[in-house]
Amino acid sequence: MITERSLRAGRRAALVLALTTAAVVNRGVSAHRLDEYLQAARIAVDPSRVELELDLTPGIAVADEIIGEIDRDQDGSLGSSEKQVYAEGALRAIAVQIDGQTLQTELMASTFPVPDAFRGGDGTIRLRATAGLPRLSMGTHQLFFRNSYRPDVSVYLANALVPESDQIAITGQQRDGHQRDLTIDFVVRTEAATPPRLLLGGIASAALLMAFVTRRTRRAVSGHRPGGLTRL
Amino acid sequence: MYPPIRVASLAGIALSATLAATAFAQRGVSPASSSTGGTAGIVGSAQAVLASLDDAGRAKVQFPLDSSQKARWSNLPTPMFQRTGLRIGDLTSAQRTAVMTLLSQALSRDGYRKVVDIMRGDEVLRTTQGSAGAPPRGGRGAGPVFGEGEYYLAFVGTPSVTAPWMLQFGGHHLAINLTLAGSQATMAPSLPAAQPASYTFEGRTVRPLGNENDKAFALINALDQKQRSQAILPYRVSDLVLGPGQDGRTIQPEGIRASTLTASQQTMLWDLVHEWTGIMTDTFAEPRMAEIRGNLRDTYFAWSGPTTNGSAAYFRIQGPTLVIEYAPQGSVDHIHTIYRDPTNDYGAKFARR
Repeated sequence: MITERSLRAGRRAALVLALTTAAVVNRGVSAHRLDEYLQAARIAVDPSRVELELDLTPGIAVADEIIGEIDRDQDGSLGSSEKQVYAEGALRAIAVQIDGQTLQTELMASTFPVPDAFRGGDGTIRLRATAGLPRLSMGTHQLFFRNSYRPDVSVYLANALVPESDQIAITGQQRDGHQRDLTIDFVVRTEAATPPRLLLGGIASAALLMAFVTRRTRRAVSGHRPGGLTRL
Repeated sequence: MYPPIRVASLAGIALSATLAATAFAQRGVSPASSSTGGTAGIVGSAQAVLASLDDAGRAKVQFPLDSSQKARWSNLPTPMFQRTGLRIGDLTSAQRTAVMTLLSQALSRDGYRKVVDIMRGDEVLRTTQGSAGAPPRGGRGAGPVFGEGEYYLAFVGTPSVTAPWMLQFGGHHLAINLTLAGSQATMAPSLPAAQPASYTFEGRTVRPLGNENDKAFALINALDQKQRSQAILPYRVSDLVLGPGQDGRTIQPEGIRASTLTASQQTMLWDLVHEWTGIMTDTFAEPRMAEIRGNLRDTYFAWSGPTTNGSAAYFRIQGPTLVIEYAPQGSVDHIHTIYRDPTNDYGAKFARR
């Protein structure tokens, strides 16, 4: 129930809050990232490939610049081809190497927010890319990742994800001070067999088994009453 | 003693002067003592919220257990992130009292204080940043809307003393996702954050995440040189790695192993972790703490930044059932944190049982 006493208390609290305003003013409070372009990379190492997730979040102060880069025809909207060109451009600035050998990354998916979300500081472009790995021997390996996209305005995060495969174990991560470079040390615990090879192996085994069973069956049929098995 | 909440915003949205006292009185727990709230009390308070609403209100607050609402949370303000549920600013005084009573029942004394301090901080932000304080009708192009009225309550699943359901409460710089399943509960993932991180209210300094900050600096400074060299990451971490939208991901842990800490350092570490798990009542927090302590060998503490209290420094505590990150957003006055359980976000483990 609202009473006169509670209203007086409310007015007093409002005054206190107004005074609080003075206590926090000049702190430059802001809800969101301002003049930085946050680039967060997560890297998953699999026996047969590397999967890369890259989240790009421009701050409010750099949003219009980024929108301008995407919106090449300057029509105010972000077309699908414009997004594709931007995503591929960002990905070209990413270098991935395995044991010193450069890997080709392929853009698998990208999502873009609407321009207003960028201007509010919460618009994130999400890129998903993959790079096939050569057959990895058992033992230690090193994956190198470098993000050279827009270093003039960017801050970076780069992290290895815990591998889903128990064939891979991450043993160390080294970064430069800005997390543009990340080197992931990992161990391949057992000889990595790529899924296609496993599949082919499985098909070959199944075919051999079928042939074996068929031959045994024919022998059995020929050694017993003709047509006996067909009645069962 | 926990001070009574006596916020009346300039927009006229009042969190009742006696909410806290009323809530604690209803629970029969002294404000100075530790909370022992259980599922039955929370369900009773949730049902009282539902009873205070009309059909339209109940439709707003109630979501199916398997709906996407579960993962619909963010640190961002309205309208940059559009929340659904029951908006506090739309409620009558009696309905707000019912909601705050529910929160005081569902959370520990410290957890409830933290939530109120974060909301109150957003009210401070509203007065300093000149937010319109209007309902989110402006679309995504509108500026951020701050204030204690911009928090939302949702029930994901039907409040029950036996079946799983989730109490979700959040707004700018706050996401509490409390999943209850009978006698078990988890609040993973949850995001307590603060801006301003320090403000004065009724003559006292309020620091919503002050304990987290101070206990972390005490811990890093309790480490010897060799331990620090293991704990301190030689690179800048400018934001949460596993913040909103990063469900289901587990990063490779880094830093110093908790098992190499001394007994007193471990005590400090668990005390720091409890700042997050202890947002829940002891009844629910203790089983989670027991799990976390049981994974000592696989738990890591990592630090990035200066070690002098008052500086902006990032830290992370990570174990098999725990991820905590504390990330200043460019200054000590704007803090984001996250609490996750990679094995049990949204009560996934409870659902499997």
